Amino acid sequence: MINRAVLTLAAVAMLAQPGWAEIARIKRSMGATTVERGKEKLSPKPGFLLLPGDTLVTGKDGQMSLTFIDDTRFSVGPNSRISVDKFDYNARSQTGEFVTRVNRGSLAIVSGQIAHSKQDAMKVRTPTSLLGVRGTKFIVEVPQ
Amino acid sequence: MSPRALRPLIGAVLLTGCATPSVTLLPTEEGKQGAVAVLETNGKPGESVINELNSRTSLSGRPRTHAIDTSRLNARQRALLDQLPPPPVRLTLYFKEGTTTLTNESEPGLDFLKSEIAHRPGAEVQVTGYTDTVGAREDNDELSQRRAEEVLKALVDQGIELSLMSAVGRGERDLRVPTADEVSEPANRRVEVTVR
Repeated sequence: MINRAVLTLAAVAMLAQPGWAEIARIKRSMGATTVERGKEKLSPKPGFLLLPGDTLVTGKDGQMSLTFIDDTRFSVGPNSRISVDKFDYNARSQTGEFVTRVNRGSLAIVSGQIAHSKQDAMKVRTPTSLLGVRGTKFIVEVPQ
Repeated sequence: MSPRALRPLIGAVLLTGCATPSVTLLPTEEGKQGAVAVLETNGKPGESVINELNSRTSLSGRPRTHAIDTSRLNARQRALLDQLPPPPVRLTLYFKEGTTTLTNESEPGLDFLKSEIAHRPGAEVQVTGYTDTVGAREDNDELSQRRAEEVLKALVDQGIELSLMSAVGRGERDLRVPTADEVSEPANRRVEVTVR
């Protein structure tokens, strides 16, 4: 009983640390999907934890959905390659910076706290342009 | 070049012609007006704001926006929107004064949270503590963090998996009932649980 209480406390202390790197969780993953982390190629399942710098890759029949810790929601379509280049978020002040790169494919976004915190705190890059997200729902499409 | 050799070339040009990067701006679930700014095109800075809801803007060259009929989105776009995760839900819990025991009114909240989590594959739960404005700002950051961690423990005791959860204290930011500094206000001494 005491052991369990100590373990719980230790885990709580660990989770409460600001340096915790989790930025999003995969909610759904269908067909061919990969998360590239450096040289690693990982298979995302529901509950998979995303880290800053991760790249989401889907094949012809692939689809992924995820929710970030600032409430931003992504739906990634087939034949896509999307990198989360930067995600800094302070849950206490609900401010931060978020840069996503859509190299190819399609991405639906509902923005969250970061976009709300400051003008253009959330940006999306496409091969031809840089977008500032100002609290909204939209689709970015980058055909091959 | 023979016409036969030209054919794939024409095909490629046509394909590129209709296949430019684009932004489709849609209303939010709350019907709110949002906007996307084009901050840079082909490496050149220059701001143009897209704020026309239900519109599509082509992103190669100067941004051009035109209205679209959202009932005629193609199957791929529709699938993309259908597969967005559900919006996060929030629940505020109140505790009996000076304890970590939920008030009778807040008790059913735990069943609600359990069921929400069960219906959301890959769920994440954030427990956020708040204080009123009595005391120093920094002390309230700490106090709200402790409150959040106490609630997190209560949720673990109710069988919610710890690995899904995190705790944060926001002190006297975002008062539920706006007050001046140094005002005791029970409605601001709260803990909010977000299920994503």
